[in-house]
Amino acid sequence: MSRPRRIGAEATAAWHAFVRRRTAVFFTFFFPVIIVFIFGVLVRTDPAGGGLFAEPPGYYVAGYLAVVVLFTPLSRVGSEVARHRAGNRFEKLATTPLTRAEWLFAQTLVNVVVIGLASFLILVSVVLSTGAAFVASPLAVAYVALGVALFCGFGALLGRLADSQDGVIAASNGVALPLLFLSETFVPPDMLPAWFVPLIELSPLTYFARGLRAATYDPSTPAASTARAGLVGADPIANLVVLAALSVGFFVAGAYALPRTD
Amino acid sequence: MVVNAENVRRQYGEAVALSGVSLSISAGEIFALIGPNGAGKTTLIRALTGTTDAEGEVSLFGRPPTDVARHRIGLLPQEFAPAERLTARELIAYYAGLYDDARDPDSVLEDVGLTDSATTHYEDLSGGQKRRACVGTALVNDPELLVLDEPTTGIDPAGRRDLWRLIEALADGGTTVLLTTHYMAEAETLADRVGLLAAGELVAIDSPAALIARHGGDSRLVIEADDETRAEAALEAAGYERLPDARYVAVAAGPREIPAVVDALTDADVAYDGLAWRQPTLEDVYVALTGTDVSTGGEA
Repeated sequence: MSRPRRIGAEATAAWHAFVRRRTAVFFTFFFPVIIVFIFGVLVRTDPAGGGLFAEPPGYYVAGYLAVVVLFTPLSRVGSEVARHRAGNRFEKLATTPLTRAEWLFAQTLVNVVVIGLASFLILVSVVLSTGAAFVASPLAVAYVALGVALFCGFGALLGRLADSQDGVIAASNGVALPLLFLSETFVPPDMLPAWFVPLIELSPLTYFARGLRAATYDPSTPAASTARAGLVGADPIANLVVLAALSVGFFVAGAYALPRTD
Repeated sequence: MVVNAENVRRQYGEAVALSGVSLSISAGEIFALIGPNGAGKTTLIRALTGTTDAEGEVSLFGRPPTDVARHRIGLLPQEFAPAERLTARELIAYYAGLYDDARDPDSVLEDVGLTDSATTHYEDLSGGQKRRACVGTALVNDPELLVLDEPTTGIDPAGRRDLWRLIEALADGGTTVLLTTHYMAEAETLADRVGLLAAGELVAIDSPAALIARHGGDSRLVIEADDETRAEAALEAAGYERLPDARYVAVAAGPREIPAVVDALTDADVAYDGLAWRQPTLEDVYVALTGTDVSTGGEA
């Protein structure tokens, strides 16, 4: 009973702290809607022509979800670690029964809920603005949850390495932006130089986008670019397994990296 | 012994924060660490609670700090800043939720005098109320060892006295209290024993009364003179040698000598705003032992 109680207390406090920061809440949900509006409505998908957005609308669903799965936990957990350090909260927590893994798990739970809601908002926005078709696969829930856990762990690592909240924001942007565009999200691999394509396999977001696309792409719509065969091909389960393994790895590393001393 | 430390050392790069500190604290004792900013108080607190890696031997309840059951310790870190958008009650309830057997948050709020502000967000509390809420977070688990790093900083005098009463009541109930402060009067009023830290070294440990008797020197007349040099010269001519005092001119003298001192200053045409007789305090002990004024950390 102890562990659920501790995680529940931490998650409740983290939830309250988040929902009462109105600016953070607004931009957490507004940011993905802006992305959908810019890419889906202004830039516009043009399946018949060339250019960046030449795939069928459904191709980009995984990319839009990747925006929130990547950016939000990375910056939120990183900032939270920086805030905890600045306020000596980790020093206090080190003398309580709450473990580092429990703290990170509670933050991850809150992020899964927040990003789950944001993902739903994105799906609605994408359908309304681009008419994208997709398959409502239950695997999508697992992909979002595991992706969030992965980038929560990554955010904890950034929070440990950066020396301030500003540093965390700068670092998370510096990490997230290249990952977002070089992980089979919005840019198909065949648009990239051949020498770079193998490097896509190094991005954890690749397995999120590739697997989620494989699980949710509507086969009745025009065929999209074929995913790279990569390490595990385009099989949704195989990519989910890789994502799960990476999530565990990043979560453990992130939990271990959380400061407990000065 | 609840707390035992032997030859604790800690360096940050080339800077020595703690230089072979040894102390022990018994059950139910109120022990105050005093010293100016940078003396090593917070580093010593961290070493004793296992939140910094220090050399030497440290034990709490006979065990290494990190092996002690967490419910036995309550810590208020220095400059602690909890989540700002939680109400005072939510903040206390959050920390209570981290323990299996915690106190009722409302009773903790009552102890720290925040019952009327229970639903106020932490960020909207006054500075003193914030510090009291932070003290409350250290009380939720009804700890056997309460460690408070500058608990009364920013609290108004009335709130400070309320907190002193609370700490005394906890100690009367058997709680061991280790606190740091740079308020000499606080340590003198509250502590059974004090440890004087200067530049990472523990220069003296004893009860306030014993330290004052041993190192505080004579009772003194303190003169707030406009021109300290002239005042010092006038008093020296009258046979009074200036005592080390950081802020004012002080000479060893009893209350019966006030007329003679006043005459000496008047004869020399030295203007002064105040003249008071007082007995030695812990601050005098600190100045005598370290040559440093604890209130400013500057040279006396």
